[in-house]
Amino acid sequence: MSRSGRLCRVVFCALVAGALLFSVLTPARSGELVTLRFSNWHLVEDVWGRSLREAINIFESRNPGIRITPEPISYAEKEPRYQAECAARRMPDVVKLHNFSLAMFFELGCAADLTPFVQRKGPGFLKTWYEFPLKMLTYRGRLMAMPDDFQSIVLIYNQELFRAAGLDPKRPPRTWTEFLEYSRRLTRDVDGDGRIDQWGFSIPASKNPGLPLRIMPIVWSFGADFITEDGRRSAMNTPEFREAFRFIVELATVHKVVPPGVTTFGPQDVRIQMAQRRIAMKIGSAWSYPIVNALNPQLNAAQVLEAAPVPVGRRRITAAWLDAWVMSPHTRYPEEAWKFIEFLTSKEIEKKFFEDNRVISSRKDVNTLPMVRTDKFSRVIVAELEHARLEPFIKEWPEIFDAFATALQEAITGAKPAERALLDAHTRVEEILARRR
Amino acid sequence: MSVGVLRLRLSARRGRVRERIAGYLFVAPAILLLGAVLAYPAFVSLRLSFTVAGSPTGLGLDQYRLLLRSSLFWQVVRQTGTFVAISVGAHLILGMLLALALNRPLMGRTPLRIMVLLPWVVPDVVAGIVWKWILNPLYGVLNDVLLELHLVQSPLEWIASPKLALFSVILANVWRGFPFVMVILLAGLQAIPEELYEAAAIDGAGPLASFRHITLPGLRKVLVVALALDTIWEVRRFGLIQAMTGGGPGTLTEVLSTQVFKQYFQFFRFEYASAMAMAMTALLLLISIPYVRMIVREE
Repeated sequence: MSRSGRLCRVVFCALVAGALLFSVLTPARSGELVTLRFSNWHLVEDVWGRSLREAINIFESRNPGIRITPEPISYAEKEPRYQAECAARRMPDVVKLHNFSLAMFFELGCAADLTPFVQRKGPGFLKTWYEFPLKMLTYRGRLMAMPDDFQSIVLIYNQELFRAAGLDPKRPPRTWTEFLEYSRRLTRDVDGDGRIDQWGFSIPASKNPGLPLRIMPIVWSFGADFITEDGRRSAMNTPEFREAFRFIVELATVHKVVPPGVTTFGPQDVRIQMAQRRIAMKIGSAWSYPIVNALNPQLNAAQVLEAAPVPVGRRRITAAWLDAWVMSPHTRYPEEAWKFIEFLTSKEIEKKFFEDNRVISSRKDVNTLPMVRTDKFSRVIVAELEHARLEPFIKEWPEIFDAFATALQEAITGAKPAERALLDAHTRVEEILARRR
Repeated sequence: MSVGVLRLRLSARRGRVRERIAGYLFVAPAILLLGAVLAYPAFVSLRLSFTVAGSPTGLGLDQYRLLLRSSLFWQVVRQTGTFVAISVGAHLILGMLLALALNRPLMGRTPLRIMVLLPWVVPDVVAGIVWKWILNPLYGVLNDVLLELHLVQSPLEWIASPKLALFSVILANVWRGFPFVMVILLAGLQAIPEELYEAAAIDGAGPLASFRHITLPGLRKVLVVALALDTIWEVRRFGLIQAMTGGGPGTLTEVLSTQVFKQYFQFFRFEYASAMAMAMTALLLLISIPYVRMIVREE
């Protein structure tokens, strides 16, 4: 090939590469079709996934210049994948995260600052939302995510099993002493073969992200906490914490009111047990009833299941579930991504999410709608929001809770005596917090 | 020397250089790809493992010091050792027995060989979930069978029991992994000439003597390959354990791979997790030495 021919080839290749690079790096001009990547673990779920896709369709029909590409992801995979994608500046434009990992994403710089967008909407824009979730999503004075679901954790119970055990289904347990008494009466050999086949209560005590939500209300209501108020020391050595820990452990080891193998259960195992009438009570929230209903429509969950506040110990308190929409800090289309987030958090769509999935919104104007106020589950969940709090908003929280979950499993399975297991957890949490100090 | 000869030599040298360059160009894409997906992440991980916040150079051995002082790390190393040793041993015994059986002229040998391979094609996580269900104390089929046969009085809490959890995970892993060893050994068995066995039989050698003096020496190389590869894979085994126990109860089924995952992706301790991953890499390199030496010697 002649020298000029070779030169032509090099120039041609450089032009093509330049054009490709240009198309990738420059934002879309008006009139061009913008494609946003949208990732959410609910996309893999039947009911939720359908609801989200419908919302996307509505958004696209109203915004013909924006196309949304849904990227389903599993619940457990989301944090590792978003983290890796963020490091590679390839995180989807809009993702959903929940409270326990938000602090880490904020600290890593994996969330765009939404303050300028919110400020543009005017001073009254955020007044529609509860203050508490907004406060949790504010990092160093900047709003880093927009709140979506905000629900309290409650006690879910089966009225039929209450009735069969001679308990009044309209009078759920109010204290932990009552709860234990109820659990004992609900733990029975129903088919008369000499083996227990129905238990009073179940909890997903495997190491899963759903465990803190179910454990925290118990621990807190005993007047205990995992770490000190300033977040600098472990508080797992207090008498209140030891009492709460013993109470949880003894449900399995002494009173045997939870099914065997409790340390291997995930949230779905517990829902299956409730759907199959193997347990009478569990700790959950608004999502419990639709999932249990889907697992066993014959149970008639809407009628049979009931929600009540979590029993009270030294104080009336429960845990809150909060998830939020996060914009990628590397998005090429921040305006369009904000438009989509604004749409997802609008009254219209939050109302739709309630209708479809029964999840409670972080918007006050949705939760005061008659359809929310008259729903027997939502009524309790919204009312309990007043007593709800979130887990500590620190990067080390997952590791701190893992120390607790390890101790819980060791004590329940007898791998270590309860006191020793808790002391080891306390020591580990002290080490974790020492790194922070 | 004439100008013509010089020209010829020069052109021959040019040809050789061009050939060499062409060779490099052919392997360049593979080297670039390996560099991008292997060497670069390994380098980043290595650098992370030496990263110390607050140190003037930003580098140090703090993460390794923390690692070596951690009692959990040593517990996990011991558990990984137990898990790998028993799994690989059982794979070898089971794989060898089945390879010997399937090497014989049996009726339906081909479908049997395919059937025995099935556990190997099941993805790790799926195998973990299936075994979790089999061992479930409420609904699990294994407890049902044991109760029906009156071998136990009450359902066993397989993966929830401190005494049985690691054993249960190993049991699932043995089921999952033996076909790989079996396939390699079966290939090795088929390469041993039949005449050797016939000659041994004429000399009066029994099956055990034939196995000891013909089969085992004939399988020496494939055994090294199978053992080395299986050991490396078992040290890295993650999905099955994560799906079955998540490392629990407590930390009794934690292995190096599940700990690296937790430290990195759940606790966000990137530097510490990288140090642990480096320790794991060093261990894997040690394990692969016999395999590499054998290949080098052969070459």
